[in-house]
Amino acid sequence: MGCSSSLPGRSSEQLGGLNNNPETNGVSDAKNLRVKLVLLGDSGVGKSCIVLRFVRGQFDPTSKVTIGASFLSQTIALQDSTTVKFEIWDTAGQERYAALAPLYYRGAAVGVVVYDITSPESFNKAQYWVKELQKHGSPDIVLALVGNKADLHEKREVPVQDGIDYAEKNGMFFIETSAKTADNINQLFEEIAKRIPRPSTSS
Amino acid sequence: MENSSSVTFYDFLDKMRNPSSLDLVRSIKSFIVSFSFHAANPENNGKRVQEFFSTMEAAIIDHPLWADASDEEIDRAMEGLEKYVMTKLFARTFAVSPEDAMIDQEISEKICLLQTFLRPEHLDIPAVLRNESSWLLAEKELQKINAFKTPREKLLCIMSCCRVINNLLLNASLSEDHVPGGADDFLPVLIYITIKANPPRLHSNLRFIQLYRRQEKLISEAAYYFTNLISAKSFIMDLSAKSVSMDEMEFEKSMEAARQANNSSQVEHSLALDEASMLGEHAYPATATTIETETTTSGRLNYPYMEAEPGELTVEDVERLLKLYKDVVTKYTSLCKTVRYLSMPRMGVIPPPSRGTGALSSQSEETSANASHQANSSSILEGTDFLSLEPQETSEDVHHKGEVQRSENCTKEVHKLGVDEMEAKIVKGFQQNTD
Repeated sequence: MGCSSSLPGRSSEQLGGLNNNPETNGVSDAKNLRVKLVLLGDSGVGKSCIVLRFVRGQFDPTSKVTIGASFLSQTIALQDSTTVKFEIWDTAGQERYAALAPLYYRGAAVGVVVYDITSPESFNKAQYWVKELQKHGSPDIVLALVGNKADLHEKREVPVQDGIDYAEKNGMFFIETSAKTADNINQLFEEIAKRIPRPSTSS
Repeated sequence: MENSSSVTFYDFLDKMRNPSSLDLVRSIKSFIVSFSFHAANPENNGKRVQEFFSTMEAAIIDHPLWADASDEEIDRAMEGLEKYVMTKLFARTFAVSPEDAMIDQEISEKICLLQTFLRPEHLDIPAVLRNESSWLLAEKELQKINAFKTPREKLLCIMSCCRVINNLLLNASLSEDHVPGGADDFLPVLIYITIKANPPRLHSNLRFIQLYRRQEKLISEAAYYFTNLISAKSFIMDLSAKSVSMDEMEFEKSMEAARQANNSSQVEHSLALDEASMLGEHAYPATATTIETETTTSGRLNYPYMEAEPGELTVEDVERLLKLYKDVVTKYTSLCKTVRYLSMPRMGVIPPPSRGTGALSSQSEETSANASHQANSSSILEGTDFLSLEPQETSEDVHHKGEVQRSENCTKEVHKLGVDEMEAKIVKGFQQNTD
């Protein structure tokens, strides 16, 4: 379950390319944003599947997509002809690594907190991460709450309304996704992209 | 990659030898010299180096030698600058604070204990990810971190280690019915590999990268994997029975047993540590030291401070140092005069100093000659710094020639050995040729 099977067979050459890659030089202007996005959530909720789905779904042979296991980046073009390059930092969701999370979300412009709609426990954990990000994340961080595995209707234990209510109370964007069917995956990232504050220009 | 980076580095040195970059060379040298006037404060030093990099980047962009240069070329020059400056400042920037050395030791000792009983299942690493040969490869990559002197190369060791783990994870997800776990899989494996590898001076190496890797390069993917290793280090430091899947009693018992075993073999252990730190030193032979050692072997007894670290010196040493310094400068200036005198009749004009490779060497000679008329403490530092600059410059030049001759058949070896070891080898080979 979770992720679909085929993985792009292009892994090794990408990681070492620290230099000579103009894309990593932090070019970020009003039209082309480079954004650090941190993924938080219990282990097994499908954080990395969401990202793999997003990166694969948008797969464009001309773009230099880095396929790593836990760091991925993907650029999307918006209708207003701006682009947003997401640099997606996955975090280990096991409880024993919870204390390490601040190292990862420091400086993140976006926090995506994921839970599994079949697991109330993961929803509780998600609320814990939201509070933590509100307290210790960047002040202008864009937060999204994601209920994943939406394809498993019959096993649902967290009502949609609970997610909606919680997100509303905390001023965050909410969406239910299925990494398996790719439902709402692109919408999630497009919606986030729209909400990212643009560097102030003349307007 | 290492090979192409050394070519980049010689390209940088070549540009620095161009007369028109004299102003840049001056800035670089005065920055390096100014560094010795300040007490070692890692945070401040890091800030100063980063500021210097930014200033120099602006200067390089505006410089005629880089007119119409692409961003990539500027970046290559900056990589060269980072390597040059950090190699020179290595002794003054790496693991200089006693606290850092203590943390290094603390981590290393804790890992030694953990190594005796911690198994992959204690971190719930799934069986499909337990691949001894991949792990060994990742460990080797990580252990190399202490064998390099520049922040970039140290960072590359972390990246290589993480690349091996990522390949393992990808293979596992392809071959087995294993749902890709992303960081849920990655971090435990990295932690376990860090424990198996026990990389020397882990804390100091991480700190060095953080402070001195050019800031615009410690971003994105590099920053992510770097953060993961920091995270692994932090997890290991705080590791207790609660953080692993292990019975608390059993954990405490295993730790105690490991301590006992370590104590009983303490003598051997400390010997091994000494040896390891010595090997560590030899793993990154400063090219300057290599040359100095070769050329001063006969006078070694006369210059007892050759191996001294700043922290070991006492006030009493100053007088002796000053005497030695004057002695060295006097000898050096008379040697220079003699060389000049000897080469004059043939050339008819005053030749450029010895090999005449440009600003770096001629300037240093001038300065040390001037310095001999001053006997204050600043001239000691200035003089010694330039004295040490010149041999290194020579070695790099020698290396350059050696590299060109051998570059084709040594590419593989460079990958195995690392640039610094390779440099030492080539320099030695070259000296044998010329002797």
